[in-house]
Amino acid sequence: MTAYLLNLFALWLGKKRVFYFLSLVFVVISGCASQPVLDHNSMVKKTDPYENINRKVFVFNDYLDEYLAEPISNAYQYVAPQFVKNSIFNFYTNLRNFNVIFNDVLQAKFKQSAKDSGRLVVNTSLGLLGIFDVAKDLGLEQNDEDFDQTLAVWGVPEGPYLVLPIVGPLTLRGVPGAMFDTATNPTSYIGAPIQLLSILNARANAEGALKFIDEAALDPYLFTRESFLQWRRNLSSDGKGNQSLDFDEELDESALNSTSTLPKLRNSFKASSLVFDKTIYHFEKAVEDYRQAESKLNRFKK
Amino acid sequence: MLLTKVKFLYLCVLCLVVFTVSAQELLTARQVVEGFQSQLLTAMKKGKQLGYSGRYEALYEPVSDTHDLTKIVRIVVGKEWEGLSKEQQDILVTTFSKYSVASYAHNFKEYSGESFVFDSEEETARGGVVVHSHLVIPNDKAVKFDYNLKEIAGHWKIINIIANGVSDLAVKRSEYTNILQHEGFDALIAKINEKITIYSKQ
Repeated sequence: MTAYLLNLFALWLGKKRVFYFLSLVFVVISGCASQPVLDHNSMVKKTDPYENINRKVFVFNDYLDEYLAEPISNAYQYVAPQFVKNSIFNFYTNLRNFNVIFNDVLQAKFKQSAKDSGRLVVNTSLGLLGIFDVAKDLGLEQNDEDFDQTLAVWGVPEGPYLVLPIVGPLTLRGVPGAMFDTATNPTSYIGAPIQLLSILNARANAEGALKFIDEAALDPYLFTRESFLQWRRNLSSDGKGNQSLDFDEELDESALNSTSTLPKLRNSFKASSLVFDKTIYHFEKAVEDYRQAESKLNRFKK
Repeated sequence: MLLTKVKFLYLCVLCLVVFTVSAQELLTARQVVEGFQSQLLTAMKKGKQLGYSGRYEALYEPVSDTHDLTKIVRIVVGKEWEGLSKEQQDILVTTFSKYSVASYAHNFKEYSGESFVFDSEEETARGGVVVHSHLVIPNDKAVKFDYNLKEIAGHWKIINIIANGVSDLAVKRSEYTNILQHEGFDALIAKINEKITIYSKQ
């Protein structure tokens, strides 16, 4: 019976061998066929399909910031001494660690969750409710985790880019993320004055970044969108995304977009070579499996 | 006898020139990045004395030598490059080069104990190198700087800088192609020049 099953297995492996050979031929042929290249404009339309509405909301938010948030923030910056601002910043950052730890666990980052818990305990006790960042001196760096990143780790796609009134830039995945983070942040339950101070503190801390955008951006909407999406993607992948490959794609984009077919053929050939290498590897592995099964079968026969 | 001495001296100078050129060619991607970072820190340390124009002068050569600004411009404008006349391409490269130096001179204006630390180096699939480093800022969070370099005519040149995961090239590409497509070449040049003026006044 066992010998019969092994025979069937060997037969299947034999078919698998043929299948690998056929798939190899198919991959090489399909690899050589011209592949449609998604150009920059198509990618942008996919990422930001509501650009027209988003731009209007962006302008509205900008006015709101210029005429309301910025003057209040400037007054706060002027009145509050630096050590008070630092203490308030540390206090809110420490409270946010409840949310960070929760998301560490949801992302199965148990070692990091232990470190972040240590950070919370140290700063809440020795750091006088988080006013002083004692944990940093002990080598416990602040980590940045939220529910949007957790959803990304779980494989939820980012969805289209959105600009919401008052809230600002987000992705569709970031909407439930922000709701969850608000629900798990203790600041949400302390009371309106503390929440207002939290918003004011956040605006004051964003001053440098907003000034940088004002100075550097030729188109502030696009500058914000690109920076925001890249920053979020980098956080979601813990800086381990396919960034290096992306650079190469960017570098060769001019070649891909040029009218000459030679660069296109070259890239197509490179892609085909990679697929070919992978297929060869799988094929060789299958042959090895087959040989092992064959020798086992022979041993059984003996 | 004198002729022999002159010949010998000429030979020595020639050897020195050849050696210097070879040494320059042998600079690795990491050395190019570290050399540039060192010059940036020097300009920051003298930042207040030099003022904006002094920093601009001090950084012009280091930026031009270590960055492939022409290639950066070509990537940033993508397929729009082909639609520009030779004159427009030259104007764009010149304006962009001035803007790049101005941006460094403006954003790295003073020194308060910052230092660059090399982290690692990796080769990319298409023959490039990424040098990972970070800028240590006292009493603040470090900023991660990743430099993407390509070997061009025997020299490693910076093509892209990624700060905390945000690619400068990708941000610029999005802006520049959009402006070129919707507002045209003159509007793009006017906007870049406007930024250079803003940088020079602050």
